[in-house]
Amino acid sequence: MSDSSSNDSFTLTLDGAEVSARPGETLWQVARRAGETIPHLCFKDAPGYRSDGNCRACMVEIEGERVLAASCIREAAPGMVVKSAGSERAREAREGVMELLLADQPEREASPDRSSHLWAIADRLAIDAGAVRRRLPSRAEREAPTVRHVAARSAALPHADGHDATHSAMNVNLDACIECGLCVRACREVQGNDVIGLAHRGAAAKIVFDFDDPMGESTCVACGECVQACPTGALMPATLIDEAGRGDSAVADRTVDSICPYCGVGCQLTYHVKDEQILFVEGRNGPSNQGRLCVKGRFGFDYPNHPARLTRPLIRREGVPKGMDPGFDPANP
Amino acid sequence: MHDTTSPQRARRRGGARGRELAPLALTGLRALLGDERRDPQLQGRDRLIEHLHVIQDAQGHLAMAELRALASYMNLPMAAIFETATFYAHFDVVHEDQSPPPAVTVRVCDSLPCRLAGAEALHERLASGADPAAVRVLRAPCMGRCDSAPVAEVGHHHVRYATAEGVEAVVDTGHVHPETILWQRLDDYRAVGGYRLLAACRAGEVGFAALCEAFEHAGLRGLGGAGFPIFRKWQAVRAEPGPRFAVINADEGEPGTFKDRHYLEHAPHRFLEGALVGAWAVEAEALYIYLRDEYPGLHRVLTEAIVELEAEGLVPPGYIVLRRGAGAYICGEESALIESLEGKPGKPRHRPPFVAQRGLFGRPTLVNNVETVYWVPRIWEQGADWFAAQGRHGRQGLRSFSVSGRVARPGVHLAPAGITLAELLEEYCGGMAEGHRPAGYLPGGASGGILPASKADIPLDFDTLQEHGCFIGSAAIIVLSDQDDLRTVATNLLAFFADESCGQCTPCRVGTEKMLALLERDEWDVEQLERLARVMGDASICGLGQAAPNPVTSLLRDFRGELEARHLIAKG
Repeated sequence: MSDSSSNDSFTLTLDGAEVSARPGETLWQVARRAGETIPHLCFKDAPGYRSDGNCRACMVEIEGERVLAASCIREAAPGMVVKSAGSERAREAREGVMELLLADQPEREASPDRSSHLWAIADRLAIDAGAVRRRLPSRAEREAPTVRHVAARSAALPHADGHDATHSAMNVNLDACIECGLCVRACREVQGNDVIGLAHRGAAAKIVFDFDDPMGESTCVACGECVQACPTGALMPATLIDEAGRGDSAVADRTVDSICPYCGVGCQLTYHVKDEQILFVEGRNGPSNQGRLCVKGRFGFDYPNHPARLTRPLIRREGVPKGMDPGFDPANP
Repeated sequence: MHDTTSPQRARRRGGARGRELAPLALTGLRALLGDERRDPQLQGRDRLIEHLHVIQDAQGHLAMAELRALASYMNLPMAAIFETATFYAHFDVVHEDQSPPPAVTVRVCDSLPCRLAGAEALHERLASGADPAAVRVLRAPCMGRCDSAPVAEVGHHHVRYATAEGVEAVVDTGHVHPETILWQRLDDYRAVGGYRLLAACRAGEVGFAALCEAFEHAGLRGLGGAGFPIFRKWQAVRAEPGPRFAVINADEGEPGTFKDRHYLEHAPHRFLEGALVGAWAVEAEALYIYLRDEYPGLHRVLTEAIVELEAEGLVPPGYIVLRRGAGAYICGEESALIESLEGKPGKPRHRPPFVAQRGLFGRPTLVNNVETVYWVPRIWEQGADWFAAQGRHGRQGLRSFSVSGRVARPGVHLAPAGITLAELLEEYCGGMAEGHRPAGYLPGGASGGILPASKADIPLDFDTLQEHGCFIGSAAIIVLSDQDDLRTVATNLLAFFADESCGQCTPCRVGTEKMLALLERDEWDVEQLERLARVMGDASICGLGQAAPNPVTSLLRDFRGELEARHLIAKG
């Protein structure tokens, strides 16, 4: 937002209180400044991420409007009367949306990220996923395909049923996907790589790489932005996923803020460390990278504990250990 | 890990990642689509769906090699091509692990009027009788021929009053081309005064203000379903800074609606004149017509009619752009239609901004329904007073009711706005079909809710049905009888919405599927259905998801006795 527009700030009513807003600000941002973080899934409050308003977890009630509005995408307007925490309709819609999404999620203990943003929101809204599953039919309850024109793919494919471990650094499990499109925006708009798409439609809507190819065989450049954006763990760093496909993004003992050691751009990042091993890396909002990283900063972190790493100074003198490869034959290099 | 600095195996590095371009496929595409190096306009993103149609028509499907070549041809990412190609039902995307579809496709209409007329049994017989290697039999949404239900389509040829024998005969004779339409040619239309209004507008004899005044007086409203006064739409778009566009929504897909097809087949030039007057009114740079792919015969008609206009110098070449839909009901929603015109999946946009402010290519856009603009020259000719004097029960104007279901004479019936169902049946439809007694009716296609027969005496028009939890929409009246099963009706409608949901927002994408599953259970969970209906109605982005629960809420409100008798809900 430009500085000049801040002069044109105006007021509106949020849950009965008068609040000020600047032109272009969304209701979600206004509420945030007023101290309320409205539940959100498809919206990522980070540089470069456009709000898309598709998950409908952030609905608010606006006086005079027939239906609710997504606060992440609706801009504040002077005199608007908005109800968020105080709206029964908004509460039901938010919970209803979460229930629809949780009805087909893997059990939390079996999920690719038991500490995902999605589960955090579910906790916040006090939704019992087990009870939801008892009330709402599961996707498997319908035998016939809901969207008819989608032909089935072979079960022999390496990414059959949305389980894709073909990439060495990232793991895909579309059972946990909520089609919020954050990874699409991450890939297409934030990083400009244009590899991920949201294909098909309706209940068949599906995240794809190129032409629904296995991730490891696609044109993916492994920047990992999608993994960082994913709110459910459907896209996860491979290092966090066990053989059964379970994972936990909050498993680290500690985090270390640092600068990427590779090139001179100076991308800021955070190392997640457990047992003195780097588990995974997150981009941090620095002036040169605004949260983004490339493949090296994101996934090139195996060298600190690599046994071949030089950890003490060496000198080329007779009788001084060089740490040479024992299998190396100087006569036959 | 060994204490070593040398790689244990040679790593693949530096090679091209992802699918590689087959140069022959690109050459083939240039032969089909034209050479994009000579005509860079062919690379425009808005041409994507047209290109996909050309490939699908030529090859019978969309193979990976062609799609990869198309990505290079259009300089678009593979993901973008794939998103669009897989969104639309009329494109058959075939992966290496899949087999291409057989040469002949038979689509059996699955919308409610056809279902009532036995489409389910027809589909079963055709599917079991066909050789899967030669013919595939699919279910398809409304084909806009509900007055001759059931309907099937062989290739692009529509078979009315379809029987298994009849369809098989059409398959055997290989008659897969659209049926011929006899239409009013340009000379004939001009002989009866056609294009005089357009000429008068262009010559300055009729001003914009006078035009608006006339249509305000006539009370002409948007007949696609929303009922927004046409003159106000013109004014709103015209007030926005140029360049502006005009778009015609000829994607009528609301089950039970076929009035636009009726007018396009009978009077394509009167429609085109009205569309051009609208484009003149907003000083549009171009006029786009988005025609649903279920009307292939009309595509020929309009193509020829536009050629006539260009040859006579009535429009500059290329001013009218005719585009084909590709099998997506949601593209009848104006912002989804615009997305589709731009070559993208038809996913509705958020409002604000409205399409009058930011529409096609981000410019202010006038979107009008076919029938709305059809009335423009006709009302001008016959006078605003004449149109305004029509109507019944305090309502104003005429409505083209597409009537289908259990009536003696289904069809497009032009009747006074505000007419009741009882009057419509009696005066226009020859009463109920023989042996049927009225049980209820859908006043506005699949989305407008369901009314019981006891409410056959309420005026049918915009604004009159809200208090009954319904709306008239495109005035598609589907009449149900005592022989129709309400669960079949409900599941048919929800299956339609779930199939046609664009998948963008959670309440519609997941909600339609869950509601369908709940309706398929032996007993209906009323509390869950009602809660889900509220969430979908309140939180969906567009009208599809908001209206999808209407049939269910209607049944739970007005048909409780029948549902109890059917043991779908508990008594009480």
